[in-house]
Amino acid sequence: MKVVDTRGHTCPAPLIMTRKGLTEAAPDEPVQIIIDNKTSLSNVRRYLTDNNLIFTVKEDGNIATVTVSRGVKVEMSNDETEYCTTTVAASSVKRNTVIAITSERMGTGDDELGTRLMVSFFRTLVLIEPAPASVVFYNAGVKLAMEDSPVHEHIKELIDKGTGIYLCTTCINHFGIKDKLPLGSFSDMYQIINILKDADHIIRP
Amino acid sequence: MEFDLLTTVETGGCSSKIPPRLLEELLRDLPLSADPDILVDISTHDDAGVYKISEDLALVFTTDFFPPLVSDGYGFGLIAATNSISDIYAMGGKPLLALNIMMFPSAEIPLEVYSEILRGGYDKAREAGVSIIGGHSIDDYPPKYGLAVIGTVHPDKIITNSGVREGELLILTKPVGTGIILAGHRMKMTTDDQDEEARRHMMRLNNDGAVLMQRYGVRGATDITGFGLAGHALKMARGSGVTIRINMGSVPLMSGVYDLVSQGCIPGAAFRNLDYAEGDTLFGEGLDYNLRMISFDAQTSGGLLISVPEEKAAALLADLHAAGHPEAAVIGSAGSKRDVSLIIGE
Repeated sequence: MKVVDTRGHTCPAPLIMTRKGLTEAAPDEPVQIIIDNKTSLSNVRRYLTDNNLIFTVKEDGNIATVTVSRGVKVEMSNDETEYCTTTVAASSVKRNTVIAITSERMGTGDDELGTRLMVSFFRTLVLIEPAPASVVFYNAGVKLAMEDSPVHEHIKELIDKGTGIYLCTTCINHFGIKDKLPLGSFSDMYQIINILKDADHIIRP
Repeated sequence: MEFDLLTTVETGGCSSKIPPRLLEELLRDLPLSADPDILVDISTHDDAGVYKISEDLALVFTTDFFPPLVSDGYGFGLIAATNSISDIYAMGGKPLLALNIMMFPSAEIPLEVYSEILRGGYDKAREAGVSIIGGHSIDDYPPKYGLAVIGTVHPDKIITNSGVREGELLILTKPVGTGIILAGHRMKMTTDDQDEEARRHMMRLNNDGAVLMQRYGVRGATDITGFGLAGHALKMARGSGVTIRINMGSVPLMSGVYDLVSQGCIPGAAFRNLDYAEGDTLFGEGLDYNLRMISFDAQTSGGLLISVPEEKAAALLADLHAAGHPEAAVIGSAGSKRDVSLIIGE
């Protein structure tokens, strides 16, 4: 058992020492934390609870002993590993979000409204960080990637932010709009399937 | 020889606020004045009170003071003054006059430190166009400093916690993390660069943000201080009768903050704020624990959280970037009221 004695330390030191103790202990080694003030005890309890760790608390006067039993819950050790390795800045944790544009309009019901909503969708999308990894355009959606599209400027902005823009070649040929200077790369079904398959999230407005 | 003000305190800055839940209980039974010229009072959890003088002039009135959060008196004075004046900006006002509020243990700390704190306060007030015309000092340990500030605003252009409308986007003007960096500094876990970055943000007036808010007709905003990003967003959501969603992945963070939190460096104030807010907050599936705690980190002299109609957001954001807020970002939105007032997602 690893013992972490935080007596004489005030917030947030007991929590930092707890974290360090949990990291240093062997994966199945219990960790005992000794705490001498109520605030730190309350914060350590909350911290362990929110991190799905199993523990018991014994209070004796002003001194509390928190014992974290380990290796009991399988998912606990998983959480732990993931938790320890997540030291990169949050903003750099880029999820692979893919947006599939399948029509010129957002939603169905009223075409005029749908057009307005789609413009608003792109206008807002460019403001949100991090930008999506890719936007895939197919069926009538490809028309939005053309030079005369109301969201042309926003697609340019997405490209500047590093978003990949993929257009369904079959669809462009079908509508006969190849000469309308589309933005993005021409893609075949194989590529489109792979982009959708590898996505963490797919958003279809 | 330099006296280190941090030796006088265990926590500093806005981390030393009274727990919000307790404060609400204490204030609940206070009788509110019925004077019809009071346009904004404590009932909407706003940053300052507003009083109408005439059809085109209202006074904005606020005060804020706290114990040291940096070692040097001058820096403490600059930060405390920036923080005090910020409440006027958050209401869309223009600050005019201020009074010093000083508590100082004259027998225990060299008196030069007193002068240094005041010098910082005066320098920042001058930068903001504010005249300090008096004040009050008492002997007390540990030292505390701040200002009571009066500003003006047009009665029809007051910006409040209750002015957020459904469908608007939320822009945050400064990165978050001052509470975590300050705690990390005490634990000797931060680099000089990280300390300096936090200092720079805490000394940055919200004046440009205030001017831009008026230019864009903003009516809903607040400044982020002791209750943390999430705590202030919650107050704004409740004040406006909407549900606010914050995407933590979009929130700009000061460098080193995420790493400090992952090492357990979470100030007690973050737990107090979490305790206050969680009953009315939904945490999104998969929201990283560290980001959740960062959303509750108490900020000292934090940025403005501005609610703006979607079609104006891009232009306002570009103007904020150009005005010296390069980190400003869209971090969430307001929607119709749901069963919780605040949603924090990844």
